[in-house]
Amino acid sequence: MDNIANHENWKSCFSEIGPGLLLFARQWTRSAADAEDIVQEAFVKFWRRNHTINNRALLYATVRSIALDFIRRDKRRARREATVFAHADSTVEPQFEWEDEAQSALAAAVNCLPHDQREVLVLKIWNELTFSEIAGALGISQNTAASRYRYALANLKKSLQPQ
Amino acid sequence: MNDFQELENELRALRPARPSPVLLERIEEAMVENCRADASPAGQPARLPYNWLSLGFGLAAAAVLLLFAVLSMEHRQGSDKEIAQVAPASETRPVVPALSGGRGVDGSISSNKFVPAGATQVVYNTRNEGLQFADGSREPLRRLRYQTRQTWQWRNPSTGASLRVSYPSEEVVLIPVSGQ
Repeated sequence: MDNIANHENWKSCFSEIGPGLLLFARQWTRSAADAEDIVQEAFVKFWRRNHTINNRALLYATVRSIALDFIRRDKRRARREATVFAHADSTVEPQFEWEDEAQSALAAAVNCLPHDQREVLVLKIWNELTFSEIAGALGISQNTAASRYRYALANLKKSLQPQ
Repeated sequence: MNDFQELENELRALRPARPSPVLLERIEEAMVENCRADASPAGQPARLPYNWLSLGFGLAAAAVLLLFAVLSMEHRQGSDKEIAQVAPASETRPVVPALSGGRGVDGSISSNKFVPAGATQVVYNTRNEGLQFADGSREPLRRLRYQTRQTWQWRNPSTGASLRVSYPSEEVVLIPVSGQ
């Protein structure tokens, strides 16, 4: 998968990175449908601009940028809907497919992480980006990305320890 | 980092939710639409290596600056040639040949006609070069050299355009000296 634009079978390319992209986008949206909208827009935009898939940092930066735009729009929408859904659950949680209770607990612990740590963790674990790519995608330094990752793991370990 | 190796493996075993099949179809549709838009001549033009709009604005700004620079330079040159003493405009009316019909001169000035508007001669240096005798003369003559700048101006009354010619000149005057 050298170039998405020239990739005849872009579907196989997307099937590889799609779940990770969706998980990344899911951090900013309340629903999976919104996350899919963001991923669609970002992926098509990226494909159209003829960037290589090797520049993954740019792809994830595109997803992030569109997600942040979505949040701004969504805030306005949320204000309008606030009266209707006064008690709606406003938490934003990534979606996982767990097989047992241990994975369920792990997923719950990931969801409880601070956003900046979870963002780095999602890019590192489920999207397999390097710290350099994470830094490029999030607009932070490589050291910051690495330290946030370590903090995320430490927090997870702490929260999963039996009380 | 190895302290977290086991935890990292557990995290990798946790699979993110897969996108819905509908998403794949939607992306495919969007890509096909984009391909059509790119292929159609009325569609969005291909991206150029640089922005033509900025280039156009830049060139326009450069042209305006150049124009101002030229005008400013001309104005400065005009100021340098400003004359200390300007002769009043010619009091005589411009002499314009009568038309073939023999009618009056007034109002018959052609738009291409320039009429004299002024003339100045500024003497900026006078040098006494001493006495001398002219050929075949027994009377001494004082030789004076004047360095001047002469300026002539014409104006077109109908268009308001003006023409000015300025040049340096040098004049040598011999004045007879009478011995009393």
